Amino acid sequence: MATDIIRILMRNEIELESIIEDYLKGKLTPREIEAFEQLRANDPAVDHKVVTHKVFLDSLQQYAEILALKEQMNHAHESLDVSYLTEQFRPHPSFVVNLWRKNKALIAVAASFIFLASLSVYSIQHNTKQNGSYEVMKKEVASIKNSQNRLIRNINSSRVQKENINPGRFGGTGFALSSNGYLCTNFHVIDGADSIYVQNNKGKSFKVKVVFSDPQYDLAILKIDDENFSALASLPYRLKKDNIGMGENVYTLGFPKDDAVLGEGYVSSNTGYNGDTTAYQVSIPVNPGNSGGPLLDNNGNIIGAITAKQNQADGAAFAIKSQYIMEALNAIPQDSIGSRITSVGKKNVLKGLHRTKQIEKIQDYVFMIKVYN
Amino acid sequence: MLNNSEETLNRLYAGYYPMVLQFILNNSGDEDDAKDVYQEAIIVLYNKIKTGDFELSSKLKTYIYSVSRRIWLKKLSQQSKKTNNLSDFEDVLAVEEDVEQHEEKDQQFQKMESALQHLGEPCKTIIQDFYINNLSMTDICEKFGYTNTDNAKTQKYKCLQRLKKIFFQL
Repeated sequence: MATDIIRILMRNEIELESIIEDYLKGKLTPREIEAFEQLRANDPAVDHKVVTHKVFLDSLQQYAEILALKEQMNHAHESLDVSYLTEQFRPHPSFVVNLWRKNKALIAVAASFIFLASLSVYSIQHNTKQNGSYEVMKKEVASIKNSQNRLIRNINSSRVQKENINPGRFGGTGFALSSNGYLCTNFHVIDGADSIYVQNNKGKSFKVKVVFSDPQYDLAILKIDDENFSALASLPYRLKKDNIGMGENVYTLGFPKDDAVLGEGYVSSNTGYNGDTTAYQVSIPVNPGNSGGPLLDNNGNIIGAITAKQNQADGAAFAIKSQYIMEALNAIPQDSIGSRITSVGKKNVLKGLHRTKQIEKIQDYVFMIKVYN
Repeated sequence: MLNNSEETLNRLYAGYYPMVLQFILNNSGDEDDAKDVYQEAIIVLYNKIKTGDFELSSKLKTYIYSVSRRIWLKKLSQQSKKTNNLSDFEDVLAVEEDVEQHEEKDQQFQKMESALQHLGEPCKTIIQDFYINNLSMTDICEKFGYTNTDNAKTQKYKCLQRLKKIFFQL
């Protein structure tokens, strides 16, 4: 066989090439391969030919593959509506539109905040308008009273009608500390109350009783005491034990109006009003009714409870630190609490979720507190 | 994709083309540039998968975007256009090495393309039929009307010799 091949070689260079090709393609029989490899070993010129031929055929092969791929891609390209897409993605003269395209997801989230924020701003305006008009009303009443007084003095006969006293109704926010109905809110929300009800986000009201109150830290713990109340699912958030840093993004859910309102901001100081170390100062737009609302960080840990805001200073609200909520909670007989809120470190289901998803999970655990006295 | 599954390729192609188109359009290119860059990026991906050491450390989308971005940056700098103020739409990976490897391969590809171009007919078709379309010598013999396969073989041999010569000279 080997001699055959050599004879063929002598005869025809063409035959050599086709043998090399067959060899490279693996078309030779084992015996032929053996003979050919012997020839390669003996004849460097043949070996060189094999190597260069292989290199060349490889690049030809690659060329073929890429060509086929390109053809397929062109085919795929034809099925696309390029002109439509081009129109859609063409750089827009407007900066805003470009910004929108680049940060779609971010903007979508931001937009929902802006929407919620504007809702809360609206409710402030609404409130202040009401307050304003209320003040005006009061003034008017007073002036009527004055003129009436004068009238009384002058005429000294007819009786003055007494000013109608509104049924005192106050509201705040509270959040669940355990699944069996322990809630946390501010002491000032429930102070002096005759009866207290809480309302969940589905609009159902439950009667609650105060089980613990701490005027020093302005905290109160309530227990839902209503036969219609069925236990909550396990709490999604955790209570953060340590302080959190300045600048940390935080948000709160509260009831400045009849529906929950999101407030978003950041921790602006590690101390509260007049350097109070038990509270944070947070830059969040809060309104009457936000009191007692949970203050959460981005990971869904409760870092405090909103307590108050500073008059005359914009965006300065205060929140009592979570440690003191924990302390208040520890003051209650532990066996009555059942599955209580756990501190950070345990798995937090809110961690890593988008804000909207977090809120979705939290809102069942935030209650509007209605106080009657 | 390696099995030349047309459906896979079509899906992949349609899936990420808008992303690259958006990137190119917003960085001083047009839809034809986008098509070129995108197809090159897919070839990079194809070659990368073929070598077998392709481990996706990120989303496929991010990889394709990064490669397209790198290729387009190179093209822009070749046209000595400004490349600052690049508008990005996705995260970017470091893919310089992959793109450089691709450039070498692409040179080979273009060399082969122009070599075949220089070869002229009927050699070009014979070579393509035999080596790319895998036709047998007898098929070629019939197609080109050679009187016997030996003539066809001789012709193919001569053509290949010429192609090699052109290819290695380029």
